[in-house]
Amino acid sequence: MVKETYLHDKHVALGAKMVDFAGWHMPVQYKSIIEEHKNVRENVGLFDVSHMGEVYVVGKDAEEFLNKIVPQDISKLTDGKAVYCQLPNRKGGLIDDLIIYKLRENTYLIICNASRVDEDINWMSLNQRGYTINLDNQSHNLSLLAVQGPKAIDLMHKLGYTADQDSFSIIEANLLNIPMFISRTGYTGEDGFELLVINEYAEYLWDKLLAEGKEFNIMPVGLGARDTLRLEAALPLYGNDLDENTTPVEAGLSWSIPKDKFEDYNGKKVITEQLENGAPKKLIGLKMLDKSVARHEYEVYYKGEKVGAVTSGGVSPVLSANIAMAYVKNIKEICTGAVVQVMIREKLHDAEVVKRPFITKRNRVKS
Amino acid sequence: MSITEKILCSKSHEYLLEEDEHYTVGLTDYAVEQLGDIVFVELPEAGTEFKKGETFATVESVKAASEIYMPVSGKILEVNETIADAPETLNEDCYEKGWLVKIEPTGDDSELADLLEYEDYKEELE
Repeated sequence: MVKETYLHDKHVALGAKMVDFAGWHMPVQYKSIIEEHKNVRENVGLFDVSHMGEVYVVGKDAEEFLNKIVPQDISKLTDGKAVYCQLPNRKGGLIDDLIIYKLRENTYLIICNASRVDEDINWMSLNQRGYTINLDNQSHNLSLLAVQGPKAIDLMHKLGYTADQDSFSIIEANLLNIPMFISRTGYTGEDGFELLVINEYAEYLWDKLLAEGKEFNIMPVGLGARDTLRLEAALPLYGNDLDENTTPVEAGLSWSIPKDKFEDYNGKKVITEQLENGAPKKLIGLKMLDKSVARHEYEVYYKGEKVGAVTSGGVSPVLSANIAMAYVKNIKEICTGAVVQVMIREKLHDAEVVKRPFITKRNRVKS
Repeated sequence: MSITEKILCSKSHEYLLEEDEHYTVGLTDYAVEQLGDIVFVELPEAGTEFKKGETFATVESVKAASEIYMPVSGKILEVNETIADAPETLNEDCYEKGWLVKIEPTGDDSELADLLEYEDYKEELE
């Protein structure tokens, strides 16, 4: 059965187009994906991301357990901080990607992909033996609202938020008399906040954010713009760019993996070997040189040879160009500035290999 | 008489407008609304012939690529160059400025049998 978030009726009342996504009936757009996208880059957008999974890991072995299941070094995480992580299988392929928040000693919160909650819980349970921890899946009790964009901070201040929070940190606070977790994270490449509340507060919070956000030109934003925003920021999407046959090194996520982590973790052998010697495939960014649009699974060619496939592709409203991410054979010549071809409806279209993320603070000012 | 009173619509959301010597083919307002922001339209070459039901164009919206089918068999006389440069024209005005192609029909009138008048088409959608 398709699930609905506690904000479902709000989306319908706002005239959103609804689609089934990862088992949830979710808004894909309210007005226009491009308008919603630009508004997040210029002002502020409000997202219902309550479909995401929330799992608490609690117990005296929580740190040790997490160190076993992710390549990142959880020992270095201090109270109130968050880290972007992957969940590899024993071969280094990814079961999911997630953010782990350290709430306090022995208490961690994992936020994971809606489509992968069951697999994650299953995998963590399989790895749990010997560790004194409790896995508590709270996904069904919690709603997650993301407030993203350069004016997100102004809106938060207007609502009485006074904390001075770094990026990738989390606090427990009362805002509008609602108890919540406020984290400075997101999936748009913009500054912003994610507000985690129990379901019963979701509608009130949603309405308040939209009403108080009017002076900052807030707009509700659907999954359509969430996808184009994360693509411009070159943030991977599980199922498109990440899967169980792709290691974090291949996915261009080596930056997130400490090379000196002492503890053993699932997939460590493959991952450290690839960190040292390179992987068979690599993720590249592409900018189409004509108006065509590259999509998931379209083939990529280099000098007449098929070298890989597009994993995510679409429109960059900020660059007014079409962009994509693709996995290609790890050939040295396929580097920034090189031209490859994407097969679109039986024709080859030129695309330039470009740096990721596709947009930075600097080229946004220019555009 | 408004334009929607003159068109015939296919179940795959193309419209056919009979003009003096030819038909104009485009996408219905319902189709355009469903597609959302249109960013690219791939049109055929003038002179190409297509059978009824064949893909003759592709419309890329932000969300996805969608194939567009011939509502009747025909030969492409002219393609709308405006939408090649400004695909958003389709979102703004799919009937007057945002048509796709003009065709010379090559089939017989029986091909029109499964096309619906706009009112009936709208009803089918509900």
